[in-house]
Amino acid sequence: MAIVAQSSKYGRVSRATLAWVVGLLFFFPIFWMVLTSFKTDADAVKPEYLLFFQPTLENYLNMTENYDYWRFARNSVITAVFATIFALAVGIPCAYAMAFNPSRATKDVLMWMLSTKMLPAAAVLYPMTFLTKSMGLFDTHFLIIVVLMLINLPIVIWMLFTYFKEIPKEIIEAGQMDGVNTWGEIREILIPLAWGGIASTALLCFIFCWNEAYWTVRLTTTEAATLSKLIEGNRAPEGLFFGRLSAVSTAAVGPIVVLGWFCQKQLVQGLTFGAVK
Amino acid sequence: MASATRPNQLLRNMSSKIASIPMALTAIVIFVGCTLWTVAYSFTGSRLLPRWRWVGLDQYDRLWDTDRWIISMQNLAIYGFCMMAFSLFLGFLMAALLDQKIRGENVFRTIFLYPYALSFVVTGLTWQWMLNPSFGLQKVVRDWGWESFTFAPLTNPDWAIYGVLMAGLWQGTGLVMVIMLAGLRGIDEDVWKAARVDGIPAWKTYVYIVIPMMRPIFVTAIVLVATAIIKVFDLIVAQTQGGPGLATEVPAKYVYEMMFRNQNLGQGFAASTMMLCFVLIIIVPWSIYEFGGRRNGR
Repeated sequence: MAIVAQSSKYGRVSRATLAWVVGLLFFFPIFWMVLTSFKTDADAVKPEYLLFFQPTLENYLNMTENYDYWRFARNSVITAVFATIFALAVGIPCAYAMAFNPSRATKDVLMWMLSTKMLPAAAVLYPMTFLTKSMGLFDTHFLIIVVLMLINLPIVIWMLFTYFKEIPKEIIEAGQMDGVNTWGEIREILIPLAWGGIASTALLCFIFCWNEAYWTVRLTTTEAATLSKLIEGNRAPEGLFFGRLSAVSTAAVGPIVVLGWFCQKQLVQGLTFGAVK
Repeated sequence: MASATRPNQLLRNMSSKIASIPMALTAIVIFVGCTLWTVAYSFTGSRLLPRWRWVGLDQYDRLWDTDRWIISMQNLAIYGFCMMAFSLFLGFLMAALLDQKIRGENVFRTIFLYPYALSFVVTGLTWQWMLNPSFGLQKVVRDWGWESFTFAPLTNPDWAIYGVLMAGLWQGTGLVMVIMLAGLRGIDEDVWKAARVDGIPAWKTYVYIVIPMMRPIFVTAIVLVATAIIKVFDLIVAQTQGGPGLATEVPAKYVYEMMFRNQNLGQGFAASTMMLCFVLIIIVPWSIYEFGGRRNGR
């Protein structure tokens, strides 16, 4: 910031160059993946075809015809959307209670919730598999929605709490004076006021759900399998079906990348917990 | 707190408590319940199915006698330490760079952040290709004429874990950068002016003034990086599958294979209990230090 004023033109140019170099380094792997998805499996492993090649849609056609891409995509959309909705439905009242009626334990409870994110999932994988299979929930949309909701709930509550905390308590209290009940306060005062924060939280939660691979791969077989499972299923020993796998990966991350592009501002705001003004 | 002015305090607290019930219940049932179950069965000789046959600490003895477990722990320690250190360091450097009013800042921010929107599975696969000696970066550079260029960490057991680290950093640093950038933007312009008037060099201003002021931002970043470190299993499964040899094995993979491939449930339970202990050893003192003293905050 302030150092800009005293820096030379040379310094400015070199910083811009550095930023471009780092930017290219970051962008290259994604660019390569997308490029490879338009190559045949044979061309994909030939470095001489790195940039110049005969583009083909074969991989994508193959994927939609033989690998049932749309079913996996539909499952991803269904599970991520519902998990996000439920996470917000549970998270908003909870964050509301913590932000506006804090008790001495609020900070501890929040930290305790967050700490569950750090527990190794491996420790509960077996009981979960065992439990869900015996309850007949294995490989159902319901199970995946519930699991996705639960693993994201701590982050959702944490984010909502940070946004709600910024809202002056007086506004909520004014509502109480007018005789609005708790539900009315949430619906008519809190949600409109914190709309931006809630949207950011929802977007981030959706992306996390979409990308989840540990539980969605291990608690499904076919019925509720998401795109993560499709990628896992297409993985082959090194270098084989390189083009096909690129196409599957590109198609799996595509919706998120497009969504992210349109909601850049919310995404950044969400990730920085509202700190970007 | 203004409890005296609120006649419906009891009721209001009721609603807060009711609102927290779903989260509390799940936490108790899933995390505590399933975890206790795992811990309990780690003292049994369960193989294909959980059997209540008490063997005491045998599973733990065997665990710490297994080379593969020791290597897994070392790998996780290397990865965890490097990931935390480098992602914070590089993230801060990149944020400081972008904070210099560079043209096209939004574009850079988006580019840096994009890898974070990619799942670990896709990240792992992409970097597996990038680092593949027969058609990845090494091959491309060699074909350009630099014949002796060698860059294939994934085929070298000594360097494989750093190949995974590269992928992890590529994926996660953008997030740290965005958070740090937000923190830098929150620093008052006057701080910089004052530092310049006093003739303090820029790097000293960063180290001694700006970074201490950004403490809450660092805490947020550390929490998020830590959750990513725990999830390294997904990355490894996609990128190296633990190879070459045992070079990139991690504890979560050991647990998974003991449980679902080797039909050695008891051993898997013991290993996951060990992981749990290590997480608790690190997290509990830190969280007490970081969050415990501020109860009267808010």
